[in-house]
Amino acid sequence: MARLELHHLSKHFGPTVAVSDVTLDIADGEFVVLLGPSGCGKTTTLRMIAGFVAPTAGRVRLGGREVTTLPPWKRNAGMVFQSYALFPHLSVAENVAFGLEMRKIAPAEIKPRVTEALRMVRLEGFAERLPRQLSGGQQQRVALARALAIRPDVLLLDEPLSNLDAKLRETVRVEIRELQRQLGITTVMVTHDQEEALIMADRLVVMSEGEVRQVGSQRDLYERPADRFVAGVVGRSNILPGKVVEPGRFETQGGIRIACAGGQAGPAVIALRPERLALGPAAQGLTNRLHGTVEFVSYLGANIDVHVRVSAADRVVVSQPNRADGRLPSEGDKVEVGWPAEAGVVFAEEAGRPQA
Amino acid sequence: MTASATAGTLQSLAAREMRGGRLSTAGFLIGPATIFVTVGLLFPILFLFRYSLNDFKPGVLMIDAFTIKQYVLFFTDPYFTAAFYRTLRVAVVVTAICVVLAFPLAYVIARTQSRWKHLLIMLVVLPLFVGNAVRAAGWMTLFGNKGFLNVSLQWLGLIDEPLRIMFTETAVIVGILAVNLPYVVLTLQSVIEGIDRAVEEAAFSLGAGPMTMFRRVLLPLALPGFVAGGIFCFILTMNAYATPVLLGGPQFVMMGPLVYIQFAIKSNWPLGSAVAFILMAATLVLTAAANLVVQRRYRR
Ligand SMILES: Nc1ncnc2c1ncn2[C@@H]1O[C@H](COP(=O)(O)OP(=O)(O)OP(=O)(O)O)[C@@H](O)[C@H]1O
Ligand SMILES: [Mg+2]
Repeated sequence: MARLELHHLSKHFGPTVAVSDVTLDIADGEFVVLLGPSGCGKTTTLRMIAGFVAPTAGRVRLGGREVTTLPPWKRNAGMVFQSYALFPHLSVAENVAFGLEMRKIAPAEIKPRVTEALRMVRLEGFAERLPRQLSGGQQQRVALARALAIRPDVLLLDEPLSNLDAKLRETVRVEIRELQRQLGITTVMVTHDQEEALIMADRLVVMSEGEVRQVGSQRDLYERPADRFVAGVVGRSNILPGKVVEPGRFETQGGIRIACAGGQAGPAVIALRPERLALGPAAQGLTNRLHGTVEFVSYLGANIDVHVRVSAADRVVVSQPNRADGRLPSEGDKVEVGWPAEAGVVFAEEAGRPQA
Repeated sequence: MTASATAGTLQSLAAREMRGGRLSTAGFLIGPATIFVTVGLLFPILFLFRYSLNDFKPGVLMIDAFTIKQYVLFFTDPYFTAAFYRTLRVAVVVTAICVVLAFPLAYVIARTQSRWKHLLIMLVVLPLFVGNAVRAAGWMTLFGNKGFLNVSLQWLGLIDEPLRIMFTETAVIVGILAVNLPYVVLTLQSVIEGIDRAVEEAAFSLGAGPMTMFRRVLLPLALPGFVAGGIFCFILTMNAYATPVLLGGPQFVMMGPLVYIQFAIKSNWPLGSAVAFILMAATLVLTAAANLVVQRRYRR
């Protein structure tokens, strides 16, 4: 259990920049999730922490110790692999005992620690089984027990849930989180599943194309996204392209004028959270009010998405909580959409770099 | 077999098929191979064994009999026992060296992510494009007393007398090694490729260094490859013919050439059969024994 620091960590594979200048300070006992689309460098970052990939530049410190040039077997990082990577020729107990044997722990002490680790993941009765005699979920828990048994300074999880079915994933992610909190172990997890990231993380690191776009809590990312990319990662956003005419005034490509908070004059997009938009009577008295036509309604259960065309070029999605007394708009209805000025977040568009 | 009987057989086969027996399909598929093995392999072996129990008189050649004379002769004559132990020694040494040499190469080929991988495999297989006899002849021109190496060294004044490389046990071992290595490399490579790379990394992350990882994880998991490659190499060496004849010379008699000598040169079919049968039995028994020991040692 220890603090983990990454200083300007980069990795190039020939011309490919897999990870670019990543700096992170992860506190003792913190659960950090690296989140981003496929190929953004999450796994590479994790593997540099574990010691499987030598960084092109930058440093890794673990528990105040410089480990950048140490091989994996000298780092004391417990890793859970996406494929679980259990030793197929060893029983569950032998798998868990492996790391303890490597640490030259007395056999008399290994046994209780294996039992303890298996109890943590609720697999006490499976000690003598071989990995191939276990279900995917059980294998995943053995992998976790094996990584935890060595009492690592940091626990590294590379998409640990991606091979489980949806139902199991929901329970396992809560279990992992509870176990992590209970043990107070510093943890870095990699995922491209937003929901998983939001549920499990103390702090999220949003990555894209090898770079860290934003580091922060769920709330930070939702309420103060650093850019348009992050705005799309946590929750959903209506993105309306256009320009800031003057600070506080935005004009969409469709010609609609919108009051917004701040902004520098120039090409920009405005991001509006669907759930922050009001529809019909609720829009009364709000700064921005637009008239539009309902084009499409999706009934999602807890919420209802209403797609409203507000100009020839602009359409917004309004997410309405599904209440018993709620009236459902239907296609073709004329409605009013409204929101307070501060609900719109403006991102300047750099000419050279479209922010996906 | 009459037509109706055939039809009946087919019908009953079809009925078995309907009952969901996949066995009959399998039977059809392995049938030809089974017949081939029986006719092409089992019968000659039976005949060989029968011949080895016959008697031999120079001039009269084979005499029908039931005697173990040939076997007694083999195991009491130092000429034959020497050939037997020589063959065993060469086979064991070659197999041991081969497996050790093959592993690093097999590992690199299995784990490389280079796009030249197929080229690497081709390079390994390349020596097999040249037949054993041709290759051995090549070695002769290189290592013979008047071969390229000795002539060059003498010309340079580094040696007075030519180095005796040809017609030694070492020459035979090196020669057979070169022939067998590709087989063992390819066998091991395919097994290593089936081992998840992440398993090795898991061992590393749990604190195992490369040597420990190899011993505790890679070796047990690659064991089927070691066994298959080793058996392959052992059998090939036990039965080697061209290489020992060409590189070992007339004094260095191994079992394969010995069979030929007895059959073709001495026209002693009973003894030749006995030698062949002993060679086969020894190969079989040792292979099975080694397999058993390894399996027991690394059970699971
Ligand atoms: N060994 C390698 N050699 C060359 N390029 C690599 C190597 N490993 C990764 N890359 C490249 O580096 C980039 C980042 O890869 P990485 O595996 O870290 O992505 P990721 O965020 O984990 O993606 P995913 O969600 O798909 O697992 C990718 O463009 C990938 O092609
Ligand atoms: Mg990945």
